[in-house]
Amino acid sequence: MRDARVAAVCLLVCLGVACSNNPYPDSDDKERVLYLNYQEAPKTLDPAVAYSTVDHMIVGPVFDTLLQYHFLERPYRLIPGLLTEMPEVTPRDDGRVIFHLKLRDDLLFQDDPCFALGTPGATTRPVVAADVAFQLMRLADPKVNSPVAPTMARIAGFEEFTARLQKLREGDQAFMARRIDAQYAAAGGIDGVRVLGPTELEIVLREAYPQFRFWLAMEFTAPVPWEAVAYYDGSDGRDKFAEHPVGTGPFRLALYDKRLRIELARNPNWHGVLHPEAHAPGAVYPAEGEPDDAARGWLDPAYVGRPLPFLDRVDFELDKEDIPAFTKFLQGYYDLSGIIEESFDRVVHQGRLSPEMQRLDMQLAKAVEPAIYYIGFNMRDPVVGAAAGERGRKLRQAMSLVIDSQAFMDIFLNGRGIAAQSVIPPGIFGYEETYLNPYRRVDLERAKALLREAGYPGGIDPKTGKPLHLTFDTGDTSARGRLRYQFFVDAWSRIGVNVEIAATAYNQFQDKVRRGAYQLFMWGWVADYPDPENFLFLLWSESARSAGGPNTAEFSDPRFDELFLKMRDAPDGPERFRLIQQMRGILETERPWIELFHPESYALIHGWVHNAKPLGMSSSTLKYRDVDVRLRAEKRAEWNRPVTWPAWALLGLAVIVIAPAVRTVRKRMR
Amino acid sequence: MIVTYLLRRVLYGFATVLGVLLLLFVLFFLVTTPDDIARRALGEKAPPEALAQWKVNHGYDKPRIWNPEAPTDTMLAEHFKRMLTFNFGNSDADDVAITRRLREGVGPSLSLALPLFLLDLPLAIALALLVALLRETYVDRLGVALCVLGMSVSVLLYIVGGQYVLGKALRWFPISGFDPRPSVILRFLALPVAVGVMSGLGEGVRFYRTVFVEEVGRDHVRTARAKGCGEGRVMIWHVLRNALIPILTQVVIAIPFLFTGSLLLESFFGIPGLGALTVDAINNNDFATLRTMVYIGSLLFILGQILTDLSYAFVDPRVRLE
Repeated sequence: MRDARVAAVCLLVCLGVACSNNPYPDSDDKERVLYLNYQEAPKTLDPAVAYSTVDHMIVGPVFDTLLQYHFLERPYRLIPGLLTEMPEVTPRDDGRVIFHLKLRDDLLFQDDPCFALGTPGATTRPVVAADVAFQLMRLADPKVNSPVAPTMARIAGFEEFTARLQKLREGDQAFMARRIDAQYAAAGGIDGVRVLGPTELEIVLREAYPQFRFWLAMEFTAPVPWEAVAYYDGSDGRDKFAEHPVGTGPFRLALYDKRLRIELARNPNWHGVLHPEAHAPGAVYPAEGEPDDAARGWLDPAYVGRPLPFLDRVDFELDKEDIPAFTKFLQGYYDLSGIIEESFDRVVHQGRLSPEMQRLDMQLAKAVEPAIYYIGFNMRDPVVGAAAGERGRKLRQAMSLVIDSQAFMDIFLNGRGIAAQSVIPPGIFGYEETYLNPYRRVDLERAKALLREAGYPGGIDPKTGKPLHLTFDTGDTSARGRLRYQFFVDAWSRIGVNVEIAATAYNQFQDKVRRGAYQLFMWGWVADYPDPENFLFLLWSESARSAGGPNTAEFSDPRFDELFLKMRDAPDGPERFRLIQQMRGILETERPWIELFHPESYALIHGWVHNAKPLGMSSSTLKYRDVDVRLRAEKRAEWNRPVTWPAWALLGLAVIVIAPAVRTVRKRMR
Repeated sequence: MIVTYLLRRVLYGFATVLGVLLLLFVLFFLVTTPDDIARRALGEKAPPEALAQWKVNHGYDKPRIWNPEAPTDTMLAEHFKRMLTFNFGNSDADDVAITRRLREGVGPSLSLALPLFLLDLPLAIALALLVALLRETYVDRLGVALCVLGMSVSVLLYIVGGQYVLGKALRWFPISGFDPRPSVILRFLALPVAVGVMSGLGEGVRFYRTVFVEEVGRDHVRTARAKGCGEGRVMIWHVLRNALIPILTQVVIAIPFLFTGSLLLESFFGIPGLGALTVDAINNNDFATLRTMVYIGSLLFILGQILTDLSYAFVDPRVRLE
């Protein structure tokens, strides 16, 4: 009996200690920490491989890039990052183009034991041009298997380096055992990457590719120390480089328990911290932005011109489920959050914060993403494709005229997005706000007329005497996916076209796409960089899916291709805009796509978070963020007082139920 | 004699494990392909060259079942070789050594499963003894009704309800998450342990009550009462002791699975144990991790069964292992 009492007391003490919904140690309350959550763990932190948003969430702040996007200005503008100035671009007579890069001379890598490999006892070293060259060689290394290797093959000698390295490695275990920098040196490096001095290098492209500058703003081309790659090889209990990044960014990875928590801590070796007096463009808070940035608090004089970063730490907590994560955000334990569908109406009223959220002093940050979702036609299909000639074209036009993008967004996305009129989203050069695509409005009568002209009066296929039967192929077999596809099927049924949803497992769908056995599909594209080329190439014949590219519609039009190449190489300006208009005109008539919408991200941000302007591109903005720690602690305490009366009520109920039972037991015992 | 028995059980178990591994391979590759695994690992934008290289790097470029030129150079042969030599390799999702993931996951799994096990079992037995003692009173009837109700409710409802009531509405515990630091670990474990105990209690109490009530009616219990034993002594020394075999069936087989964690509780509460690792492996098309977890699960199941048989013989001298 005594033991039972002791156990009960222990249990109550444990429950007393446990009784708090604060997921962080109390000692964290006073630290300048930003708390975020993630739903899926990063797959890799190797900047040569990382390509997903969640990978970039960590890789971005750890690896500073050569160039970066201006935090506030839109349209997007590139500014120097690790470079002293924008690259000097020189076209050569033989068609090659040289990018001349000059690195800052005050750069250091973050502290890490790996540097003892180069200099015994060293924990860091200056960043040099050879580190950029080393990273470019890693992109060419088949063992690294970088997803951007085909893009980087535009660098002169890139593929040749790959071939030489592969040949040297073939069956030669001794060569494979050599240090990675020695292997690359033996393979002779990339001809088109020339290190001219400690901080200078040239990159020679085989052909004009102005978009290369955007790749310099991605972590793929960030300097990486050979010591880190050589040291963190996964042997002798050491991490792999993919989970132990060593970079030059404003933050360093302090904890990587990716199935639970990731912590970034301020990097004391970052050039902006070591040399605040230099006022490097990406190392101080900007003074210019969009017209309404000041009103939104993003040009607060308290921050303008101050050296970055403001935070001491950023904690990322794994929370796979939407609802618990959003609840924790509302409790004040996450500082930013997306808005889950289930709570959208509670949070947003007519595009603005609801009174309830306003009372909680929330901020709502909306941004149209540089992305597009569309329905594509397989242009190689004999019925809907190019082979059907004018009939096929009119059929595609008719089908385009019945899809109401706004209604789709209202039903399935809480209205988050803007109806797409062309391939190019807002914020990207070539987007024209006033342009209205004549085939992207709902006009049933015109659609029926076009269908009649296509030889399908009332949607009836004269060959069968029945409604024209098409298939809408998808790899999404979920009930939710089916509902979405049904929306389009219902729209087409209004003009008599019978579209069947062919939902199969994703691999079967991929197989269909590979074989060209599909008619209609729905797809999306998120830009790698803010340039119209990154959208229009989705319809360039050389990007065809059958050739391994992303042009799943298999659209091929010599006029479009010719204009594309001119547009690709032209600088932003009236001429380029005119070319884009011409390309848009071709797509308008040919209709390989039914452009649906450009999604709009809605972020909820607590009032204690400062400088949370969304960037849109996958480039880290953590160094600009700040939190008011005192206000957060106050609000958390106010919002999370435990409700204790149900515990007493339960206890009372238990006594009422148990007391007679105990009496009976005692009686029986006697 | 017992050695022969054990040997036979181990051989049966080995055959079962081989069957499980074969079935897993066939079922997994019925619904997915190496291309899917590669695409999941590298992302939608990965070019075909990168996907092909990934397959080469991970051995998924080999013929699946039959290779006339080199019969052992197939994915199936590699699958068996790796499992039987306990060389689990690296995860398909992120290339991390699977043994490391197992090492990292055991702690969180045990920190949830152990308190759950230690609280659930005595509580269920104590309540079952109580309702058996008070059989055919209002406590017994109410208890049985509550047990049936408790068994009928899905675990998911307990989880979501627990998160809503205890985490969101009453703000007693964090809704989800985990932190192994001693200053906060109890906060994170309290809710999943409470939910786990609640969800398992109905079934446990109902089962043990049935066992105890059956035992109460036996001759030796009547004799004990006739000898003048108090009801408490009768329940503990004569009923509970003689009902140990069915209890052991439940308990011993559960012990090995304390290490593999709970799929649902870990997933919903964000506890990075081995249960959540298995769910992640399924979601990520991570064949390498999934087969390891299934393999370990099968081995532990066989181990649990053998231990149960041994414990029968230990607690009941009438049982002989032959």
